[in-house]
Amino acid sequence: MPRQYEAVFVFDSALEDAAINERLERYAGLLGTPDDLKWDHWGRRQLAYPIGRREIGYYVVGRFGAESAVLPEYERAIKLDEGIIRHLLTIYEHELGAPPMTEEEMAAAARRRDQEDDEDED
Amino acid sequence: MMRRPQKSCPFCETRVRFIDYKDDRTLGRFITDHGKILPSRLSGVCARHQRQLALAVKRARYLALIPYIRGHQA
Repeated sequence: MPRQYEAVFVFDSALEDAAINERLERYAGLLGTPDDLKWDHWGRRQLAYPIGRREIGYYVVGRFGAESAVLPEYERAIKLDEGIIRHLLTIYEHELGAPPMTEEEMAAAARRRDQEDDEDED
Repeated sequence: MMRRPQKSCPFCETRVRFIDYKDDRTLGRFITDHGKILPSRLSGVCARHQRQLALAVKRARYLALIPYIRGHQA
């Protein structure tokens, strides 16, 4: 069953925009070009600390659905790419879990917490 | 025994379900001047959100969105 993943890439800022797009397309190909693939280009921004001699990175955030079997090959290709200084692949968590709690549920949970606190004091 | 006054969790108040590791401005409110994760007894964050926050800060540090240490002279 495919799961939703989120990938963040920090590219070397010396790379041309065309080179970055070409890489993203190549990596999408390794995933089997998912239909729901979406890239969000943050562009060049200051790194919070220097990585090697680099002070600026080009950030791209992507979201896609993929089978877990294709991910090892995908990550291997990314690790070998010297143009990528950092990358992070995580499960896109916003899709998981129960719907947000209603007002009543929140109030009930707060009451339960208060009761438990009172018991602790005894 | 004196009890600490209960602080309300800022994430619960705003109905945040998942703390986003890419939101460096929010995470910046929960780290100290040196870049350490602020303890929940000071920030009032609930246990569930404190666990999420710790993971989010560590991910953000790795991606160079927030520093590992701040105010350190090499």
